[in-house]
Amino acid sequence: MLRAMLRDLRAHLGRVAMTLAAIVLGVAFVVATWVVSDSAAATVGGGAARSDVAALVQAVRETSAAAEIPADVVARLAALPGVSRAEGVREGYAALVRADGKLGTTSWPDTAGTDWDGSQRFTLTAGRGPSRAGEVALEAQAAAEAGLSVGDSARVLLGGDRSDTATVVGVFTYRAAGREFDPAVAYDESTAAQLLRNRDAAPGAAPGFARVELFGPDEPAVVAAARTALGTGFDVDSGSTLRADQARAAQSDADVIRKALLAFAAVALMAGVFVIANTFTMLVTQRTRQFALLRAVGARRSQVRRAVLTEAVVLGLVGSTIGVALGVGLGLLAMRLLPVDGQVAYAVSPWAVLLGYAVGVVVTIVSAYGSARRAARVSPMAALRTDAAVPRRSLVLRTVLGLVAVAAGAAMVAVTSPDELTEPKRMLAMAGAVLAWVGVLLTAPILVSTVLAPLTRLLRSPGPVTRIAMRNAVRDPRRTAATASALMIGLSLVCAFATVGQTLRDDTTEQVRSAVPESAVVLRAAAFGVLDDTVLATASAVPGVTGLAVPRWGAVDVVSLRGAVAESGFTSLNPAAVGSAIRPKVTAGSGDLRRGVLLSEQIATRLGVGVGEQVRFRFLSADAAGQPKPVEVAVTVAGVHEGGDLLRGQLIDEALLPAGVSGEGDSMFAVGGDPAALRTAMEKAFASRPDVLVQDRGQLVEDMLGPLQLVLGLVYVLLGAAVVIAVFGVINTLALSVLERTRELGVFRALGASRGLVRRTVRRESVVISLYGGVLGIGVGVLLGGVMQYVILANPVFGLSVPWLTAGVALAGMGLVGVLAALWPARRAARADILAAIATE
Amino acid sequence: MIDSCPSAPPPPGGSVSPMTNFEAAVSAEDLTKRYGSGDAQVTALDAVTTAFGRGELTAIMGPSGSGKSTLMHCLAGLDTPTGGRVWLDGSRHGSADRVELSGLRDDALTALRRDRMGFVFQAFNLLPTLTAWENITLPLDLAGRRPDQAFADTVIDAVGLRDRLHHRPAQLSGGQQQRVACARALISRPDVVFADEPTGALDSRAGAEVLGFLRRSVDELSQTVVMVTHDQVAASYADRVLFLADGKIVDELREPSADRVLDRIRSLESAGRGRTAVGAGA
Repeated sequence: MLRAMLRDLRAHLGRVAMTLAAIVLGVAFVVATWVVSDSAAATVGGGAARSDVAALVQAVRETSAAAEIPADVVARLAALPGVSRAEGVREGYAALVRADGKLGTTSWPDTAGTDWDGSQRFTLTAGRGPSRAGEVALEAQAAAEAGLSVGDSARVLLGGDRSDTATVVGVFTYRAAGREFDPAVAYDESTAAQLLRNRDAAPGAAPGFARVELFGPDEPAVVAAARTALGTGFDVDSGSTLRADQARAAQSDADVIRKALLAFAAVALMAGVFVIANTFTMLVTQRTRQFALLRAVGARRSQVRRAVLTEAVVLGLVGSTIGVALGVGLGLLAMRLLPVDGQVAYAVSPWAVLLGYAVGVVVTIVSAYGSARRAARVSPMAALRTDAAVPRRSLVLRTVLGLVAVAAGAAMVAVTSPDELTEPKRMLAMAGAVLAWVGVLLTAPILVSTVLAPLTRLLRSPGPVTRIAMRNAVRDPRRTAATASALMIGLSLVCAFATVGQTLRDDTTEQVRSAVPESAVVLRAAAFGVLDDTVLATASAVPGVTGLAVPRWGAVDVVSLRGAVAESGFTSLNPAAVGSAIRPKVTAGSGDLRRGVLLSEQIATRLGVGVGEQVRFRFLSADAAGQPKPVEVAVTVAGVHEGGDLLRGQLIDEALLPAGVSGEGDSMFAVGGDPAALRTAMEKAFASRPDVLVQDRGQLVEDMLGPLQLVLGLVYVLLGAAVVIAVFGVINTLALSVLERTRELGVFRALGASRGLVRRTVRRESVVISLYGGVLGIGVGVLLGGVMQYVILANPVFGLSVPWLTAGVALAGMGLVGVLAALWPARRAARADILAAIATE
Repeated sequence: MIDSCPSAPPPPGGSVSPMTNFEAAVSAEDLTKRYGSGDAQVTALDAVTTAFGRGELTAIMGPSGSGKSTLMHCLAGLDTPTGGRVWLDGSRHGSADRVELSGLRDDALTALRRDRMGFVFQAFNLLPTLTAWENITLPLDLAGRRPDQAFADTVIDAVGLRDRLHHRPAQLSGGQQQRVACARALISRPDVVFADEPTGALDSRAGAEVLGFLRRSVDELSQTVVMVTHDQVAASYADRVLFLADGKIVDELREPSADRVLDRIRSLESAGRGRTAVGAGA
């Protein structure tokens, strides 16, 4: 019995290979995910950890006065018994100027300057360490961003409004002892002492050390000695504690990555389940007569069922083995390609291998179970008929379940909409969307016969190719639906994310367009900075400026007369600039800040305050001793505005801010005269200010959306795996359908269909199936995206923006997938042997 | 029809000399088909020379393995003969329509089958996804031609399928399916219709309907039909019966009745027993 089945497997290697391909891809993606996250954790936590530090001394942050460690403390630590060396580490504001004269963004400039020492902090990748004034070493990524290499002259912006030009003598990668950020710039000891300051440091302020690294052979002794010597006010951590902390942090980072990646792997697997299940169904269908023969000669149902399941296990094991090997390879390859600085550690844990096998075998068995049951139900009588078929499951239950799921999902989304979205409501809406999504997967076969089939009749006299292709596509709705569903899974998620992205993009663009005039020149702080009063002074002095908006943001509590308090923020503005250089979207009342403040829609609704009413703004100021002290100002509500990222919270005349209260802003908007001339003048005025970018509003939008594009790109790539697996599904379906239709194809040829025509027919069938999956995926994806953006942004569900470009590319891609997937099956069909087909047995 | 009578019966066991003033729709000369090589070589057709008269229903009979199906497949260009030639003579397509099949490439052969031949198979072989009407017009459809409605009506009424045109094959009985197949074979007004055991899968009543229809297509539409059968009743509908044994034409009968066919078969079988002892049989 078993031998018969295994022989049979071997006899149909082609069909088996297609099933294997689906298993292999699914398993490979899961295993690769695991390997990448393991290796990432090992890279951050293992290979890169410092082994030379015995202890790290840091000033306790709360007592702000003692944040820096004075030189005499370092000297005291160096003299302690057991301490062989005490290395004070300097930190200061340093920002590398790029080739375009502006600052880069790869490092956090406030701590990007440090002093060179011979510890394991620095690993040179080129040149040597700096040894005298006028020399500097750069961190590899920062150097790459600035386009600098050894021998070049680097310009560095420093704290206290100074800058320095030095020759690059070395490029390094950095290893942290604690949780400090990687620096970008390293000077030699004495130059660092001279140059490194905080961003706003007053000239001549005494430089201290950010932390002290202690070295010595006996780690506990060093730690104990340092603790005794320093007392309170300082944290002393042992090297092993630091390493453990780092490993833990790396592990939790890796876990976050792993979870995200596994979610995508799950999606790919889901597509894989459809493909594998569909392939098994077809394999079983094609061997109906063989099963019937087995039954006729005395095999019990359970024996037939077991035989099919055994086949699944064998395929699962073989597929998993190849998949695990491929996955490990892919994972290691990905680690090579990822931009990781320093030594990359590769880790393949036994878990990855085990998980790969578990997933491969379980998924295959689950996929094959239905087919196995149906194979067992084949009547022995079927052996005697030429047109025997495996009993079909009814679609009724599946359709009803699907429709119920769609209806319930839609209802779940609908009930959340009238009121404000709370966290449970968001969860409910999202769950509803997923439920409806599953519902569509369930109803896909019915959609084939109720939507696709009538479509074939809609085409008046479409010619034999299209007619036969369409008829074949709708001939087995379950099969076509399973094939299309696999495509739909990946595609719908791509389109859902694209919809969220497009909605965000449109919202942001709309917001910026409505708030910022097209003619405005936008000044933006580079490298996570803020625009201070010197920028304001320079910008105001630029000839031709007629309006300059300087939105600055800070925290404020809004208190209504009834005593309700809402924690929020304010944006201070110069009333003269409102309406010219910046245009808040006023939804009620007036936009004139001279008449009073503009509440954000959200706060006005929450507090129930209308135009003309009074509210109090409670700011946080500081008293003479530097202690925080609340200050209240009574204001009239002049209007209500929409809010948003550009003009956040309540808008207030900057003159109304109480003394000691000010906001921070990273953008300014200037208008006046010819925009091009103004921009040129602004660029000239800020040519010597690497920390100020001169842009227009289009660049502002792109800057705001940059991170989103990056995330979306990554998401698309990861979802691509699901689409690739589904493409194998299309090939499988076509190849097996063609095998099934050998006789029909032979007749078709005998009646006068040329090889080319047969090829075209199969290709068109493939395109029809792919496009069906594409249309379904895009449609469902856009709706899913609608709910996602509703849940995330609290926009109305149908306030979504359709990502036309992505949808168009996806649809064209599906057409291409159809053509490519048909390549081999079409050739095979065209080679159908006419004589064998019409020979009567 | 009597005027276009072919030559005399071939001499026993020998080949027929090429015919000169015989109006043939299909003719074969020295048609040979061998399978395998060396000791395992089997001769399915042994230098067959014959012709099928235009406007005639010719039946090819013979025991299993006599080569009758192979002969038909070679005549229809479905199978490639090892040697010899096959001509197709068109009358409705003009005088320049004499085509020799062996030199043709696949696409030309395909077009020839589509436009100038019709097929009826034992297993009906309708395309399951197409309706009866779509199956009937498929050859025209493949050629990108529109059916001549008047002629289509004639054919459909002749097979009596008017109320079944929009049914799928699965919704039709065997007899109805075979009548659809007959209509499909005739719709393009081919030079010749090849019918391979057209009644093999039908009960006698449905079989008689199909045979009656083929007969009428010859009588009323001057269609040429070549039919392979092993049923003497089916053969009795023919104008002429060719008997094949061991890849050779061994006998021929004109205006056959079922009884005469049966007699001839019996006499051939007793002769054949002598030959099989020598060891032939394809």
